[in-house]
Amino acid sequence: MSSTTKASRIGEELWKTRVDKVNAELVTLTYGTIVAQLCQDYDGNYPEVNKQLEKMGYNIGMRLIEDFLAKSNVGRCANFRETADMIAKVGFRIFLNIAPTVTNWTSDNNQFSLVFDENPLADFVELPDDGRAQDELWFSNILCGVLRGALEMVQMQVEAHFVSDVLRGDDTTEMRVSLIRYIEDEMPPEEE
Amino acid sequence: MVVYSFYIFDRHAECIYKRRWLPRPASITGGKSSRPTSEASAPATSTPALLGQSARTTDDDAKLIFGTVFSLRNMVRKLGGEDDNFVTYKTSQYKLHYYETPTNIKFVMLTDIKSPSMRIALQQIYINLYVEYVVKNPLSPVEHPGGVGVNNELFEESLEQFVTRVLS
Amino acid sequence: MSYYFTILSPTDVPLFNIAFGTSKSGGDGIARFRFPDTAQYMNQFIIHSSLDIVEEAQWMNGNMYLKHIDTYPPASAYISAFLTPSGARFLLLHQPPQLPNTGSATGAGGGGGSSGSILGGSFSASALGSSRASASSIAANPTSPQTEEAVRQFMTEVYENYVKTVMSPFYRQGMEIRSAVFRSRVTAAGRKWL
Repeated sequence: MSSTTKASRIGEELWKTRVDKVNAELVTLTYGTIVAQLCQDYDGNYPEVNKQLEKMGYNIGMRLIEDFLAKSNVGRCANFRETADMIAKVGFRIFLNIAPTVTNWTSDNNQFSLVFDENPLADFVELPDDGRAQDELWFSNILCGVLRGALEMVQMQVEAHFVSDVLRGDDTTEMRVSLIRYIEDEMPPEEE
Repeated sequence: MVVYSFYIFDRHAECIYKRRWLPRPASITGGKSSRPTSEASAPATSTPALLGQSARTTDDDAKLIFGTVFSLRNMVRKLGGEDDNFVTYKTSQYKLHYYETPTNIKFVMLTDIKSPSMRIALQQIYINLYVEYVVKNPLSPVEHPGGVGVNNELFEESLEQFVTRVLS
Repeated sequence: MSYYFTILSPTDVPLFNIAFGTSKSGGDGIARFRFPDTAQYMNQFIIHSSLDIVEEAQWMNGNMYLKHIDTYPPASAYISAFLTPSGARFLLLHQPPQLPNTGSATGAGGGGGSSGSILGGSFSASALGSSRASASSIAANPTSPQTEEAVRQFMTEVYENYVKTVMSPFYRQGMEIRSAVFRSRVTAAGRKWL
C-alpha cells in the first residue's frame, strides 16, 4: 500500500504546484463535441467511433507522457503494480483531477481495473437514445488510447478497454488494463 | 566552458536533432594538436578511437555517438542494476554528458573537459525546451523521423540562448 | 391543482411538455384538468395564446421569472412564465380544481400517460378528488405570493436541469428534449414545489 500512498502524495503535490488549471466545462464540452461530431461523421457507426477515439487518445498519450515525466520527474516504475498506482494517483490526478481506484488484479499482476467514481469527460452527457449507443458506444474511449500511447513510450505494450460505463446505465465505470509485454530497446538499423 | 555539440536520439535509435557550435574541421587527421579549449584550435571530434581516419560526415558522428552511449548504458545497467545510468565520461579531448528520459529519448552534449556536470542542464533542455516546444507543438508529428518537427524555430532559438547565455 | 408545463424554443417550437397534478395537501400528483380527455389540446391553446403577453412582459424588467402573466377565466387557467437568457420560454399553466358544487367532471380514467410524445406526459382522467385541496394551500390560490414563490422555485430548479440537459453533447439546439432523465427531474421538481 505504501506505493499507493506515495503516489497519491506525489499527485497531490503536482496538482497543487505544477499544473495549469482550466475550466472543467470547457474540457467537458470540447470532448463531448468531438464525440458527437464523430458519431455524426461516421453516421452512427459506434464501433468505428470507439476506434477513432482510441486512436486520438493514442496520439495524445504519446505526447502526454513526456509532459507527465517533465512535470513529475519520477523515474521508472519497478513493476506493473507501481505503474498502475502512478497512472491512477498521479497521471489521472494531474490531467483530470480524479483518482480512479486500482482493483481486480489478476494473480500474475499483469491485469488490473481502474474504477472511476467520477469522470469529468462525461458530465452532462446522455447517450443518444437510438437503441444502439447504449450498447455500442464507449463515450470515454479516448482514455484507453491515452494509456496505450503513454505506456508504449515507457516500453510497455498494453491493451485497455472499458468494461462498463455509468452512461450506459451500469453501476460503475470500469476500464480493464492488461500488460502484453515489455518492449525491448530498439537497435539502430544495420549499416550496409 | 565551451559546448561543442549536442544530439538528441529518439526511441528508435534515430538521431532526431544535432547541433554543432564550432565548425567541424575539414580533416581530423591532425586533430592531436592542442587542447581544444581555445577558440582558435579545432575542437576534437567525438570519438578518438577513430582519429586518423579520413573525414566523416556529421551523420557518421551521430551514429558513433549513439553506439557509444548505447553500449555504455547497457554495460552500466548490467553492472549496476536496471536503474543505474551513466552520466558522463571524459577523454583527454572532450567530455560527453548523457541524459536519458524514461521514454528512451537520449540527450547527449559534448563539452570541453573542464566543464562541470551537465546532467541538470540536459534535463532542463528536456523539460523546458524539448517538451515545451517540440512535444507540445500540435503541428509537429509525434515521432520525428529524420528530425521532422524538432528543428522548429522556437526550439532551436531557445536552445541557442540556453547554451550561449546560461551555460557560458 | 393541475399543471401543464411546456418549454418553447426562441422560435416558438415546443421542446418539452408535461402534465402533472399537485402533490401538496395530499395530492396524488395526477393531473385532472377541466377539459374532457378529448380536449387536452386546450392546454396548449391557452399556453400558446399567452405568448403575446410574454413577449410584452419580457421587456418590462430584467427578471427571468415573469410571475403570473395571463389568465384564461373560462377555464380558470393561470399562466406563469420564465425566460432563459437564450430566449427559451418556460410556461406553466395551473388550474385549480373545480369546486365541488359545480363539479360535473366525470369520465373514467383511461388513456394514461403517453410520456415521450410531444403532446406531453400523463393525461390522466379528470375525476374524483377535486375537492381535496384546502383553500389555504398554494393549490387553491394561483395568484397568492406563496404560489408565486413556489412556482419560482420550481422554474429555477427546472432551469438548472434544463441547462445540464442542453449541455449534453448529443443535444442539438432547437431539438425536442426527449431525455428521460430530464423528464423525471421535472416531475421531481413538480412534486417538491408544487
